[in-house]
Amino acid sequence: MGDKEKVSVNHLTKKFGDLLVLDDVSFEVMDGDLLCVVGPTGCGKTTFLNSLVNIYRITSGEILLDGRQVDTRKQNIAYIFQGDSTMPWLTVEENVQFGLNLKKVPSGEKKERVEKYLDIVGLTKYRKFYPKQLSASMLQRVSIARAFATEPELLLMDEPYGQLDIELRFKLEDELVRLWEMTKTTVIFITHNIEEAVYLGNKIMVLTNKPTTVKKTIINDLPRPRDIASPKFVELRNQVTDLIRWW
Amino acid sequence: MNEKVKERLLSVLCAVISIGLFLGFWWWGTQRTQLGKLLPDPGTVFTAMCGYITGTVGKCSLLMHMLSSLRRVLIGFVIGSLAGVSLGLLMGRYALARAVFNPLYRVIRPIPPIAWIPISIIWLGLGEQAKIFLIILAAFANTTLNAMTGARDVDPELINAARMLGAKEGQIFRTIVIPAAVPAIFAGLQVGISSSWASVVAAEMIKAENGLGWIIQAGMDNNNMSQILAGIIMIGVGGFALTCIMRTIEGVMCRWNKSGR
Repeated sequence: MGDKEKVSVNHLTKKFGDLLVLDDVSFEVMDGDLLCVVGPTGCGKTTFLNSLVNIYRITSGEILLDGRQVDTRKQNIAYIFQGDSTMPWLTVEENVQFGLNLKKVPSGEKKERVEKYLDIVGLTKYRKFYPKQLSASMLQRVSIARAFATEPELLLMDEPYGQLDIELRFKLEDELVRLWEMTKTTVIFITHNIEEAVYLGNKIMVLTNKPTTVKKTIINDLPRPRDIASPKFVELRNQVTDLIRWW
Repeated sequence: MNEKVKERLLSVLCAVISIGLFLGFWWWGTQRTQLGKLLPDPGTVFTAMCGYITGTVGKCSLLMHMLSSLRRVLIGFVIGSLAGVSLGLLMGRYALARAVFNPLYRVIRPIPPIAWIPISIIWLGLGEQAKIFLIILAAFANTTLNAMTGARDVDPELINAARMLGAKEGQIFRTIVIPAAVPAIFAGLQVGISSSWASVVAAEMIKAENGLGWIIQAGMDNNNMSQILAGIIMIGVGGFALTCIMRTIEGVMCRWNKSGR
């Protein structure tokens, strides 16, 4: 991965009224990292991600992207949500185009990128379909294609596969790794699934229970494609599990 | 024969049977009961209607009267619904617009359009403007509420997704809020068009030289029950046609809102 800091979070604190959710969190994400963030259920993982991009206003601290305050209108950030966030009135193709239209990408390049990412996520055949005509996994693939088509500097993913069955999850995880390897986009991937974190991330950041802080960041240099049954994989998974364990 | 065709045929058959039964009871009532003293039978009304269509009632044919009413409705409905949808979308999206306009709107909304008739006559006289004013009010009241609800209930995840992709507020309003509110807007337009149609008839019954309301009023003045019924039937037909047209437009604009392949 790069040796340049992509995201720098300094003393991030977030309160909802009197409830302290994020407590003085500091960490860095390097350029090209695929950072998986895991933590106990309800520890504030989504709050953490939403605070990074100003969906929630932070109480104190500083978040920098490439050394500048995060501004989604000026910086190229994409976010894949837990639930379906495709625009139901747009076809698959128009959904993938959506971010490119906002960013005023020239039409030739726009067409090229739409073709490329529709092909990568295997939805070329369904380009004229509306979201209501698609399955849950296809919808998530539309969101992935829409996010990657903007060729973001930073991609945030909030448990995007949480509601999918195991087979589809594996498929989309492989797809994400393939896209990440191709594009070298910096990705922050929130999950409650430890196996998923070990399978995907080149770094794993473990959060504590509320009030949330960073417990530990682990470098994951297991070779790809990763084998979930290999002893090293199991060892790392157990290590992360022990760090999360609150029972 | 596929399921859809079967379903369609069945619904047409049911409609024919129910209308047939209604006409049958009407005919039976006029022939066998005291109802005959109050109402002409369906055949007499149908013959009178044919005469009004090919000939004249007052200064023009029944269809021309219907077109006069339709013209008033369309002018008033377009103005009223454009104003209503615009205000509703703004109130749905922006708290400040809601805080400023909603209290006034909530007071005006429950007032039935016919309650405005005296004021409209005083302000605008007995001509076209007063009638169109009433229709504007009828369309405005219904469309505003639905557009506001549609804009307010947009899935926040869609707005966040657009914001994350770099959308500014104006782009969010244009590319997310408006399209997401379209089904709710159409629900309001459906009610608005029915309400406009009802209002035009009421307005024409006060003072007009043509239109379906005038036909009914003139029929009452002349004690011509067939003419009154012809006017009433054409109101029903006109209202039904407008609703069907609106539903067809909605079907095209909201084709994305249908599930299944």
